[in-house]
Amino acid sequence: MSQSSQPGEESASKRGTQDIAAGLFLLAVAASAVFHALELPLGSLRAMGPGMLPMSLAVLLGALGIGVLVIGLLQPGDPFEKWSFRGLAFVLGSIIVFALTVRLFGLIVAGPLSMIIAGMADPQTNWKHTLIFAVILTAFSILLFKVALRLPIPIINFM
Amino acid sequence: MRTILTALSVAAAFAAGPAMAQAYPNKPITMIVPFAAGGPTDVIARIAADNMSKTLGQQIVIENVAGAGGTTGSTRTAQSVPDGYTIMMGHMGTHGAAPALYPNLKYDPTKDFEPIGMVAGTPILIVAKKTFPAKDLKEFLAKAKADGDKINEAHAGIGSVSHTTCLLLNAQAGLKPTQVPYKGTGPALNDLVSGQVDFMCDQIVNLVEQIKGGNIKAYAIATPERSPALPDVPTTKEAGLPEYQVSAWNAMFAPKGTPKDITAKLNDALQKALADENTRKRLLELGAVLPDKAGQTQDALGTFVGQEVARWTPVIKASGAVGQ
Amino acid sequence: MEQLIDNLALGFGTALSLKNLALCFLGCMVGTLIGVLPGVGPIATIAMLLPITFGIDPTGALIMLAGIYYGAQYGGSTTAILVNIPGEATSVVTVLDGHQMARQGRAGVALGIAAIGSFIAGCVATVVIAALGEPLTKLAMLFGPAEYFSLMVMGLVFAVVLARGSLPKAIAMIVLGLLLSTVGTDLETGQERLTFGVAELSDGVDFAVLAMGIFGFAEIIRNLENPEARDVVRGKIGPLLPSWADFKQSIAPIARGTGLGAILGILPGNGAVLGPFASYTLEKKIAKDPSRFGRGAIEGVAGPEAANNAGAQTAFIPLLTLGIPPNAVMALMVGAMTIHGIIPGPQVVTKNPQLFWGMIASMWIGNLMLLIINLPLVGLWVRLLKVPYSLLYPAILLFCCIGIYSINNSTSDVLFTAFFGLVGYALIKFGYEPAPLLLGFVLGKLMEEKLRQALILSRGSFMTFVERPVSAGLLLVAAVMLAIALLPSIRKSRDEVFTE
Repeated sequence: MSQSSQPGEESASKRGTQDIAAGLFLLAVAASAVFHALELPLGSLRAMGPGMLPMSLAVLLGALGIGVLVIGLLQPGDPFEKWSFRGLAFVLGSIIVFALTVRLFGLIVAGPLSMIIAGMADPQTNWKHTLIFAVILTAFSILLFKVALRLPIPIINFM
Repeated sequence: MRTILTALSVAAAFAAGPAMAQAYPNKPITMIVPFAAGGPTDVIARIAADNMSKTLGQQIVIENVAGAGGTTGSTRTAQSVPDGYTIMMGHMGTHGAAPALYPNLKYDPTKDFEPIGMVAGTPILIVAKKTFPAKDLKEFLAKAKADGDKINEAHAGIGSVSHTTCLLLNAQAGLKPTQVPYKGTGPALNDLVSGQVDFMCDQIVNLVEQIKGGNIKAYAIATPERSPALPDVPTTKEAGLPEYQVSAWNAMFAPKGTPKDITAKLNDALQKALADENTRKRLLELGAVLPDKAGQTQDALGTFVGQEVARWTPVIKASGAVGQ
Repeated sequence: MEQLIDNLALGFGTALSLKNLALCFLGCMVGTLIGVLPGVGPIATIAMLLPITFGIDPTGALIMLAGIYYGAQYGGSTTAILVNIPGEATSVVTVLDGHQMARQGRAGVALGIAAIGSFIAGCVATVVIAALGEPLTKLAMLFGPAEYFSLMVMGLVFAVVLARGSLPKAIAMIVLGLLLSTVGTDLETGQERLTFGVAELSDGVDFAVLAMGIFGFAEIIRNLENPEARDVVRGKIGPLLPSWADFKQSIAPIARGTGLGAILGILPGNGAVLGPFASYTLEKKIAKDPSRFGRGAIEGVAGPEAANNAGAQTAFIPLLTLGIPPNAVMALMVGAMTIHGIIPGPQVVTKNPQLFWGMIASMWIGNLMLLIINLPLVGLWVRLLKVPYSLLYPAILLFCCIGIYSINNSTSDVLFTAFFGLVGYALIKFGYEPAPLLLGFVLGKLMEEKLRQALILSRGSFMTFVERPVSAGLLLVAAVMLAIALLPSIRKSRDEVFTE
């Protein structure tokens, strides 16, 4: 990832809000893993149970989370960046819609639908181009994946 | 979600009703293989499907849906539309051992499927590392029994053929080895060849070349007759453990409710495949044992599945093994 | 030696028949194609193409399938360089500097050097297989679970030693990767772990699912939010082929990468995945100016690509000489051979010399073909980058979805990639690097398995790791590397290994 720090700008004097958030994120992941690993028998070091590794890794992750958090609190660092919810929503949405429609209706619906939803993520989308492209690309994928590669992906599957 | 999808696809099937009136099959048939491509079940499925496609005049497309010891693919088959266009290659694990191994199993092998027919069994062998100090099965069993948990048994993961068939061996012969789990037959076999572990049980097709090459030694084959692929390996009956009779069988199933004439047509195509010289030859080369005429019927498979479930349940329950 | 030449002559005699040449070419073409498509791996394709090979004789069929396999390795690097999506574990490293080169208008150079590096590595690996295949098998036999575990520890030390940026953050990512790798069914007891009650997770998280979400989708979302930076190449495309100076700079890394990859490829249990990582670490460690790495250093593409291809090819050794497949693709090759009535094993060499040597010869021919197929394609690929991003990213998304679906014919896998896309985006925002996470994930799967096997075999004694000489040696190397890293003077010169 290109480093988000712009030397000399705002970031220098502030606390590392990015690290603070990053540390909290790790703590949350670790806590949820610990919670779910609690039900697993730990065993002993000599005869490890299923829970031994997940639990120790989760605890280690939590410790690292605290470390990152402390660094963020004590040292100046990068500020927390704004999230782009538009991109997040439509890109992930298009993937989810693809997943939900491909077996139900087939690629012929899932393909263009997911590309159109994906297109909404970008304010610069030229709808005419995207629509034409969605149709062409779906046809191309059918030829490529179904006809040429013979992958068992549903093509037309609706009433 | 699943149920909605199933409901919708059932609706779709009814809507497509008129199309179904045409002679079956009028479009490609999907055969779900609940294991990864390239394994013994997959290979057998592809060989059989190849010939059946010719008889049926429609392609049988193999769809590998691996996961959770084959139960993911079996669940999907059980829940799919019973129109004859989704069938599966079931197996000793998915339709014999699974009910005992998986307490939350979403299907019942005896109730949720229509049997199509037995395809092939692959015999199980008892093999050991080449330096194991026993010259035949009797010596092996005596030594393994005396050594108790000092001896190491490799298996390809909880619920795998090598795991369950060795559980049966251990129960019948009174062995209590330390079990070393691997992820798949490859790594387990690798460590058996290099002598890290002492013995394992597995399907003949995985072992035959290693035995012929002298990398491991075979003590017995768990079938009534010797295998033409390994004529020097005695049967368990000859070697002194006659009750150990087990093979990793593969059989075709359709979801419950598939019309009788369709399953009959599929059974007919399967029987033709098993009579075809080239198909027979290819299956036999794998070391597979093919069912006789009586064993190829749908009823024979239905009865057999019931017997297998009844046989594996106590063995697995007693061992305390849980798959999931 | 004389025998080797006789054998190779037999091999080339077989492989150079018109039919086998055509099959090899077809395999390489299909392989390149599926390699370029994100997510559609060689496994799904080889499985689907198996029935087509029924009509061909076994040698021809295997030559074609092998072509698909290493063609896919080539193609995978193309996607990694152009759109920052690693199709499999071995191309994670290529992403780091390859994509940066593409952003600097040097996509052609990166693709070119990847192709040339792979070709050189492929040539060397072919000779290694032919000449040393059987003795090298013995090396693989020295590796039991304990040795394997120690090798993985060494791999993790690679990552820790060279990661800096923020050391705690890099280590945190490795640990998170390890933690993710424990998701799924427990090896020994069959209990579900950290699956959050989702049945589809019982076999763990698939690598392609994780990599595509964390690298590919997260990258797309991030690109969308800064429109100025998103078009991979705006304006000039730059040179299409590496210059002589590029080549001179790359030749030593290619040689070292080939050696590392070839050795690691032989190890059972998919040692090949470590090859590119090891090569990248080495190149960065010995570079005069390590800070160039992660910003488009050509050595960071050349070395790992060579290692990748060398490993991909020497992975055939355990398959051909022992009949034991070291990874999933090779397991499928076993299936392919069995379908054709050849059960791979120690006797293939003597029983089917034509097949054995024909396949080895075809590997070299295949590498040459791949070079011929790929160099002209470089221009086409690079031009693909000129497609406006607003059209390009929905297309990438669609191909990724289809690819992920086809891995296991499962829609839940597609949903998981969406989830990991979210995670990947969050990681970017928190300033974490995704590459150490993927390395931790890949190593973790094997590490726990081997650790527990080793402990079962030693009946719980950790001494097994130091009592066994090979294992002890590997741990020693790891310890020395860690010690060097912790010395303050050297610490200064360390730089981030995983900066994209």
